[in-house]
Amino acid sequence: MGNKHKWRTDLWIDWCPGCGNFGILNAEILALKELGLDPRKIVIVSGIGCSSRIPHYINVNGVHTLHGRGIPFALGIKLANPELTVIVHGGDGDLLGIGMGHLVALGRRNLDITVIIHNNGVYGLTKGQASPTLPRGLKTKALTKPNIQDAINPIAIALASGYTFIARSYAFNIRHLKEIIKRAVKHRGSALIDVLQPCVTYNDIYTRDYYEERIYILDQDTAWDPVVREPSEEEVARKLDQAWVKAMEWGDRIPIGVFYENPYIPTLEERISSEIPEYREKPPALQKICNEKGEPIITRDIFKILFRDKIIRVRNRYKS
Amino acid sequence: MVKEVLFLIGGPQGSGLETSGIVLTRALAEEGYYVISDREYHSNIRGRHSYTHVRVSVKPRYSLAFPVDLVVAMDAESIFTHFSDIKKDGFFVVDISSLEQSIDKIVSMDRLVRQRIKRKMELLGIRDDKAESVISFLREQDTEIIQLDFKNYLKKLADKYTISPRAISRYLSGIAIATVAGLLGIDMDSIVNGLRARLAGREALVKHNVYLISMVVEDIASEYGTPLKLDAPDPKTSDFIVATGNEIVAMGKIVGGLRVQTYYPITPAADESLYLEEKNVLKMNGEFIGGIVVFQTEDEIAALSSAIGAALAGARSSTSTSGPGFSLMVEALSWAGMNEVPVVITYYQRGGPSTGMPTRGAQSDLMFAIYAGHGEFARVVISSGDHLETFYDAIDAFNIAEKYQVPVIHLLDKFLANSIATIPIPDFSNIRIERGSIVSGAPDYKRFDKRNLVSPRAFLGSNAVMWHTGNEHDEYGHVSEDPLNRIDMYEKRIKKMALIDEELPLKKRISLYGSKNPRIILIGWGYTKNPVIDALPKLEEKYDIGYLHFRILVPFPKDYIHEVLNRAEIIIGVEHSYNVQIANLVTMHTGIKISHEIVKFTGRPIYENEIITAVKEIVENKRIRVVLTHGE
Repeated sequence: MGNKHKWRTDLWIDWCPGCGNFGILNAEILALKELGLDPRKIVIVSGIGCSSRIPHYINVNGVHTLHGRGIPFALGIKLANPELTVIVHGGDGDLLGIGMGHLVALGRRNLDITVIIHNNGVYGLTKGQASPTLPRGLKTKALTKPNIQDAINPIAIALASGYTFIARSYAFNIRHLKEIIKRAVKHRGSALIDVLQPCVTYNDIYTRDYYEERIYILDQDTAWDPVVREPSEEEVARKLDQAWVKAMEWGDRIPIGVFYENPYIPTLEERISSEIPEYREKPPALQKICNEKGEPIITRDIFKILFRDKIIRVRNRYKS
Repeated sequence: MVKEVLFLIGGPQGSGLETSGIVLTRALAEEGYYVISDREYHSNIRGRHSYTHVRVSVKPRYSLAFPVDLVVAMDAESIFTHFSDIKKDGFFVVDISSLEQSIDKIVSMDRLVRQRIKRKMELLGIRDDKAESVISFLREQDTEIIQLDFKNYLKKLADKYTISPRAISRYLSGIAIATVAGLLGIDMDSIVNGLRARLAGREALVKHNVYLISMVVEDIASEYGTPLKLDAPDPKTSDFIVATGNEIVAMGKIVGGLRVQTYYPITPAADESLYLEEKNVLKMNGEFIGGIVVFQTEDEIAALSSAIGAALAGARSSTSTSGPGFSLMVEALSWAGMNEVPVVITYYQRGGPSTGMPTRGAQSDLMFAIYAGHGEFARVVISSGDHLETFYDAIDAFNIAEKYQVPVIHLLDKFLANSIATIPIPDFSNIRIERGSIVSGAPDYKRFDKRNLVSPRAFLGSNAVMWHTGNEHDEYGHVSEDPLNRIDMYEKRIKKMALIDEELPLKKRISLYGSKNPRIILIGWGYTKNPVIDALPKLEEKYDIGYLHFRILVPFPKDYIHEVLNRAEIIIGVEHSYNVQIANLVTMHTGIKISHEIVKFTGRPIYENEIITAVKEIVENKRIRVVLTHGE
C-alpha cells in the first residue's frame, strides 16, 4: 500500500478554521508516510473532544472511544496484538483530566505506544471551560471568572510516571512535530508528546502569537542531550535531573523538543514475553482456539492434564 | 445408614479454615463422596469469625442446610456463635481452653451479634455468660460434646519436630481436619493426598500435619469410633473436579478460548483472575498451544475498556468484577453495545448497595445487569445455577458474544464463587467454539455493513482499514447524525435481540424441575437453584410442585414462560434480594403477577431447610412473603 496510499479520508474536517488540530493532523500524516508503515497495521485511538475526531480524518484504523479512556482501549488492542502501531490522541481535558489515572498507569508499564496530547487549556467542544493545564488566575474568553484551580504540568507528570520518551512540540511547527512523532513512534516504550495547540475560538490567551514569541527549540542547543546513553543509575539520574529543570520552564521562554528518552527500560511486551515466550510470535489475537470443526483446542484429555491440580481420581475400593 | 453428613468448622479468619475446607473436600472426593463446601467470612484478613460449612453425601447434593451433625469450634467465639446450629444428637467439638471464656471477653465479636446471642442464652436459661455453660446446655440437649486439649496436641507436635511456639498456631487447621476425619472415618491416605495438594512442595508441613492428625484421629476413634461414617459412596464418575466457582469459570474460559483477561482486584471476583494467571501458558507435551494475557489494570473502567480493545483486535477477551466494579464499567459497556463488540463481563454479585457486605452473597443486581448503560442496545445476560452450568456458560458466553457481536454479562454470585463443589469432568462432545462471521477484510470494508444484522467482522490489523466510534455512525464507522442512517443503525443494533431470541435453544435458557404441569411453581435463577432443587423431592411428597430455573435472562423467553406460569396456581419467586427482581422481570414480559415471595438478604445463602419451611408457610398458612434469616 505504502506510497500510493491515500492517507487522508475524504471526510470534511469539522474543526474551527485556524484550529491547532490541523497542524497536528498534517504532521501526523507526514510522519506516518515517512515511517513507511502499513496503514492496515496502524491504529489511532482517541478519547472525546475536538482533538479526538482525528482518527476519522486519517486513512488508517481508527477507534474513537470514551472521554479519557483512549489509553485503556489502546492497551487492550496492543496487548492482544503487539505487532500493531498504536497512537493515542486526546485533549488536555481528556488525558490530563478525566483520564489522568490511565495516563499515569501507562507510564508504569512502558507499553510500546505513543500518546499525543492536544493541549489547548480549554474544553473546546463544551464551549470553553478551563482545562487542567490552564493556570490559576487566567480568564479565557468563555470563563465567567478567573480560573481558581492551578495548572498541572504534563511533562512533569510524564517524568514522574515513568514514560521513557517525553517531548513537547507546537501544533503549527509541523516539521518539528512530524519529527517528534516519528521519534516517538519508533521509540520502544511509552512515549508522550505534549503538543501546544492554540484554540482559536476559546483560548484568547494561549494564542498563536503568544506561543510564537516564547517558544524555543531545545534540540537547537547542541549541548542538549535528552537521551539516556547507558543504563547506569548515574546517567539516568543526570538525564532526569535536566529534564525536570526544563519541565518547570514556562513563561517568557517555553521549551519544545525531546525532554527525556530512555531506551533501556523493558517494554510491557518484553515483560509479558519473559513469561509467555511465544507472545510476540503468536499474539493472543492471532492464536487458534479451535479446529476446523469448531472443537476447542483444549480437548477433554488436555483439560485433564491442564487442570490436574483440581481433578481427583476416585478410589475404587468401594466398587464391588 | 448415613446418606449425608453436614458439618461446620468455625474459627478466626486466617487460622486455616480455608485449608481445612479444601483438604477435607479433596479427601472426601477421593473417597467418592459428593461435597459442597461454603465459606462464610468477614471483609477482614485476620481475626474475625469465619466458618466453613460442608455437606457430604452419597448422592449429588447442591446446597447447604442446617442444623448440622458436627460443629468443630476452634475458639470460644465459635461455641457462642454456632451452638444453635447443631442437631440435638450431633457432635460438638471444643477446645478445653475455650470453656473458661465469657462472651463479653471476646473482643472480635460484633457487638450486635454478642447482644443477640446473650439474649438468646438468657431465654434458653443458660446460667451465665461462659462458654462452659453453653456446653452444659448442649449436653443436656443430648449433644455429644467432644473436648479436646488443643494446646497439648500442639505441644506434642512442637516437641516432636522442634517447632517454635510462634509457628505452631498454623497447625490448628490440622486439628480441625483430624476431628472431621476421625468422626467420619476418612481414610488417612485421602487426607494425606489432600494435604499434599494444598501444601504443594512443603513436605515438612505435610509430615507435621500427618503426625498431628493421626494423633487426634486415634484419640477420637478410641473414644467415639466413627459415628458419622457414611454409607459406601456411589459416584457416577471416576474423576471429580474439586473447585470453587471462580476456578470453574476460569476453566470454562480457557476451554472457550479466552486470550485476554483484564481485571481490577475485587471480592469475590479476583480469585478467578488469579487462577487464570496460574494457567496462562497452555502447553501440551511441551508444545505451546496458547497463551493468555491476564492483566491487572488501574481500575474497572480500564479493565472493561481494554478488554474491549483486545476484542477489537480479535482476541476472545473478558473481565471479571463485582457490583462496585461493574458500576464503573457501565459507560464502556454502552460503547461495546454501540460498536457491537463481543466482550464478556463475568459479574459476581455481592451484598450491596455501595460497599454493602463485600464478602457476602446477593442476587440484587439482576435489573442492574439487564439495564445498565445509557441508550438502548442488545446484550445477553446469562446466569448459572451451579458449578457445572457455570463451566458450560462461560464457554457459551464467548460464543454468543462473537456470533452476535454483543456484550455478554455472565451474572454469578459470591455463593457460587467461593463454594467448592465436586463435579464430574464436563462432557466435551457438544462443546463447540462459534466465532460467528469473521472476514479478513479488503479495501472499502464496512465494519457496520447494514446488509446483515450481524456484519462480517474483521479484526484491527487485518487486511481492512476500519473505524469505530461511540458516536452514531455510518457503515464505515464514521460519525453521522443523519436521522435516517440513525434509524437503520439503531434498528440493526436492537433487532439483533430478536435474532438471538429466535436462535437460542430453549434448553439452554430455561429448565423446569419437578412435576411437568405443577400447581405450585417456584421461580428463580443463579444460586437459588441449589437449595430449591435439593428441597424439591421432599416438597413433591406433599405438593404438586416444580421449579422454573432461568439461565439466560436476556433475551427473555416470554412465550414459553407465559405458557408454563399461566397453568400454575401459586407462583413463588425465590431470590437473594428484597425485591425479587426476577418476579418483576417475569411480570414485565408476561403480564403474569408473581403472587408469592421467598427472599433472603442477610448475605448468607438460602438453605434447603429454609425452602421447605417457607413453601409450607405459603401453601398451608397462606403467607404471601417469607423472609429468610437463617445462618450466622
